[in-house]
Amino acid sequence: MKPSGVFVQLATVLAVCLGLTGAAGAETVLRARLNADILSLDPGARRDENTDAVILHVVEGLVASREDGSIGPMLASRWAVSPDGRTYTFALRQGVTFQNGAPLTSTEVVWSLKRYLDPKTRWRCRFEFGDEGITRIESIAAPDPRTVVVRLSRPAPMFLKTLARNDCGGTGILHPDSVGSDGAIRRLIGTGPFEVSAWKRNQFIELSRFARYAALPGPRDGNTGGKRALVDKIRFLIIPDGSAARAALLRGNLDVLDALSPTELAGVRGKRGVRLEINPTMDLYTVLFQTQDPVIGDARLRRAIALSIDTAGLAKAVTWDTAKGNTSPVPRVSPFFGPVQAAQRRVDLAEARRLAKAAGYKGQPIRLVTNRRYPQCFDAAVLIQAMAAQAGINIQIDTLDWASQLDRYATGQYQAMVEPFSARLDPSLNFGLLIGDKAKDPRKAWSTPQARALLRRSMEAERPADRQAAFDDLQRAFLEETPAIVLFSSSRIAVVRQNVTGYKGWPAAQQRLWGVGLR
Amino acid sequence: MLSYILKRLLLTLPTLLMVALAVFFLIRLIPGDPALVMLGDAGDAASLAALRQDLGLDQPLPVQFLLWVEHALRGDLGHSILTSEPVSVLIWQRFQLTAIVVVVAVSAATVIAVIAGLAAAWRRDTPLDLAVVGAASLVLAVPSFWLGLILLLVFGLKLGWLPVVGYVPFSESAVEAALFLVLPILTLTITESGVLTRMMRSSAIDVLRLEYVTHARAKGLSEFTVLSRHVFPNAFAPTLTLVGLILGHLLGGIAVIETVFTLPGLGRLMVDSILGRDYPVVQGCLLFTAVVYVAVNLVVDLCYPLFDPRVTAQ
Amino acid sequence: MKPSVLSGAKPNAVIGGLLVGGLLVVVLLGYVWTPYDPIAIDLAHPLAPPSWTHWFGSDEFGRDVLSRAMLGARISVTIALGVVAAAVIAGTLIGAIAGFLRGWVDRVIMSVNDAILAFPGMLLALALIAVLGSNRGSIILALSVAYLPSIVRVVRGAVLSIREREYVEASKVVGDGALYTMVRHVLPNALPPVVVLATSLFGWVVLSESALSFLGVGVPPPAPTWGNMLSAARPYMENASWLSVTPGVCIALTLLGVNLLGDALRDRLDPRRDA
Repeated sequence: MKPSGVFVQLATVLAVCLGLTGAAGAETVLRARLNADILSLDPGARRDENTDAVILHVVEGLVASREDGSIGPMLASRWAVSPDGRTYTFALRQGVTFQNGAPLTSTEVVWSLKRYLDPKTRWRCRFEFGDEGITRIESIAAPDPRTVVVRLSRPAPMFLKTLARNDCGGTGILHPDSVGSDGAIRRLIGTGPFEVSAWKRNQFIELSRFARYAALPGPRDGNTGGKRALVDKIRFLIIPDGSAARAALLRGNLDVLDALSPTELAGVRGKRGVRLEINPTMDLYTVLFQTQDPVIGDARLRRAIALSIDTAGLAKAVTWDTAKGNTSPVPRVSPFFGPVQAAQRRVDLAEARRLAKAAGYKGQPIRLVTNRRYPQCFDAAVLIQAMAAQAGINIQIDTLDWASQLDRYATGQYQAMVEPFSARLDPSLNFGLLIGDKAKDPRKAWSTPQARALLRRSMEAERPADRQAAFDDLQRAFLEETPAIVLFSSSRIAVVRQNVTGYKGWPAAQQRLWGVGLR
Repeated sequence: MLSYILKRLLLTLPTLLMVALAVFFLIRLIPGDPALVMLGDAGDAASLAALRQDLGLDQPLPVQFLLWVEHALRGDLGHSILTSEPVSVLIWQRFQLTAIVVVVAVSAATVIAVIAGLAAAWRRDTPLDLAVVGAASLVLAVPSFWLGLILLLVFGLKLGWLPVVGYVPFSESAVEAALFLVLPILTLTITESGVLTRMMRSSAIDVLRLEYVTHARAKGLSEFTVLSRHVFPNAFAPTLTLVGLILGHLLGGIAVIETVFTLPGLGRLMVDSILGRDYPVVQGCLLFTAVVYVAVNLVVDLCYPLFDPRVTAQ
Repeated sequence: MKPSVLSGAKPNAVIGGLLVGGLLVVVLLGYVWTPYDPIAIDLAHPLAPPSWTHWFGSDEFGRDVLSRAMLGARISVTIALGVVAAAVIAGTLIGAIAGFLRGWVDRVIMSVNDAILAFPGMLLALALIAVLGSNRGSIILALSVAYLPSIVRVVRGAVLSIREREYVEASKVVGDGALYTMVRHVLPNALPPVVVLATSLFGWVVLSESALSFLGVGVPPPAPTWGNMLSAARPYMENASWLSVTPGVCIALTLLGVNLLGDALRDRLDPRRDA
């Protein structure tokens, strides 16, 4: 036998013995990928996108986001809002069990909510319920084991959406046994379809099927709906390098590869044994302008730059034809993307030159900050520079590392910046990224009182038609003043092996492995 | 000799202090801090301030530095800001892997370099010499990560001989772990053998012309004895210096190889923690690296007189 | 019996000379002419394989690879030359002073030297560039600082060995001053290892620059360096190999030439040839 044959045989035998092929034994193991280790098992506290994605398999909140961004029931079967909008009465579902066997009652819900609001927990969304937030929570009560009553200081139509946010950990309800005497999480005990079975730092995190999970009826819908564990175990392998992950998938060491960079697409298209899942998301890739800068503070110059950018062409090139350009902060896949949003800004070099001249632009360099961590940001900057040059606008690129860019973003120290924003499931939240009081929060690019009033209107209106009208007004003002430019909402690219069933991406971008099986 | 060692060890203390100071302030000179990285685009002023206070980042710098030094002297390097793991545990785990790869690769490269360099110097200006010089020069020219990628493509993907992703620790399975390490070690061996071979050849050429070599040959000693007993020990010194330099330099430079082969090693930990502004990890890593580096060079310097007896340890 | 400088030209000098000469020609040519504008994008023809219109193909934005490689030659070479010059000049001076004077001067210098050397060079460069900004000047400065200690150490080591040799002792006996001895006897003999190291250093710098690009810092766009062309080509290694082959080959040929030339130079510089 050839030496190489022995080698392969040996490696294969060892691999099978160690269960790496996933076919060993009667247990089905779905191997997925994270591009970095999770930060903690504390929902909404020490977190990033990967952490949220894993935790949301294990915990569930009172409510959760549907596929289109609206709110659906999760642990609460229904809820009622008082006429003054300040009291929410949640009726809890029956027959739900925690992963330690204890039944779900209002006691645990109240305990979890109070724990989130405790400053020591460092819950990311605590400030939403402070002075600068959407409302204050005055009280949380449990009149009986099946009911929870939350009283707010003022009405907040975005209250449920905030609870459901991924980066808030879905405000997942935990059992008090999750925390030790020091208040830190020692074992994550939620109600979700999977529970944590092993965590080997920087190698993998493994979840096992929770046998007594009580699924909602019906199909999967966002983070709610029927969530069924179709495999015994999920193993999230930690593979930071995109090329290595792609190679692992093609070799069969990986079943689901989430978050493939579009630049890796060429290496995957047409390969046997795998298929692509490309789904649009509600994130935003934008160019922010510093409207207080002496040069770029002139709206005509900003519009000139915007008019020189072929958004459709840029998006096609930068996302490798997986996403369409969009000049609106409302993502294309949002239910609020209507005719006003769909009317895209077109390239007009002559008008761009005219506007630049009218603004008194003399060819000074305008510095555009970008980074290498997000290749689409980097590529977009290169293209913007080339396109603006055609209108006589001189853009110079400052490539910073990600943390340095965040620093400039947080302090507003830039003229222009290519900034990516993670997915927000409601257009008010998307606009909220751009609109605010610059004096109090330097991150906000759009600081005019009119914009802030329009944003409030969009958040306080209850009927969808009223909200749509607010978003339309915002769109018109946005194009007129151009405090920022929106380029596109990216698409999440996942590659799965042919024997994987049921995988689908969705606008919140986070990977969901319930309802996913292996043939 | 003992007093020399003690004196050298004492001398390293100011070096280490300088390193600690430099790292501490350099990393904080870079814009951005861990609170920003952790909160990302949801970092409004209030949350940032609260988090900074939690992390102790709002205290004056000298206070932070003294606190850190005080803990470090007791062996407590703190906890990672991003993942809460104890830094010393983190470093030790990562270092084991990096050390295996680096030591094996550099040892192999040194052996290759000694043999090839001596042979080339001995048969100077022959096709053998040209081949060795050519190969060494070519190897010097290729970026290590590019070489790694190509080896990965060929052996991992196209031929399927070796695994492509991740890493299995030795505790789980020694053979599996070894398989994962073959390609990175091979890449590093090839890359480092170039410069070592050139240096070995260059100093061997120097020594070969010296009188005592002619003398030894005249005495009738075999070429092999001349090469191994007279040429090699004297010619090895500069190469040894280079080995020391390389070992130190590799502790950082190996980040690139570890990225390509997705090895959870010390190099990548350092780069990731710099980019993530994870101050305790950066400080701990660089202090640790400095200690290792100083120790390695102390050993090299002590060995120097073994190879060049005219250099006295002053 | 002094061999004439040009007689019996060794193969390594010839090949090295040709390669380096070729590089210089390409760099100079690049100042006046390239087939296309290296930074002009052409979204209609991305990733075009080598053909008569694009001799070495085009990249993901339709930019001509050959033109970018030519501009990249200029940039990569300038950075490398800058670093080597700065590091060698400063390093030789410092290393010679330390090795020759010894005593407390030596100890202080080596202490600081070791402190810098104890920093993994690439990380030091990474940190410095993050502080100073990602531009050519700061990259040169950062890499110079990172590589300086290596040269200091090697020069000092060579000087240590040499000062014990007879002609140095003889020089002292005759009554030559320290500076004269250093310049006339010690430095020329310390040069060969420095020349070898300098040529290796040139290679290290080009490779370090490409590694820095790989890790996310480096010369900012749209300027091409061989390093950032190589790192940008990574996702396309399988299906657009010309993107990585071109800068890879450029780096290899340049370094090969420089190293061979360095070897030939070292042979010529060997002072014992005069004996």
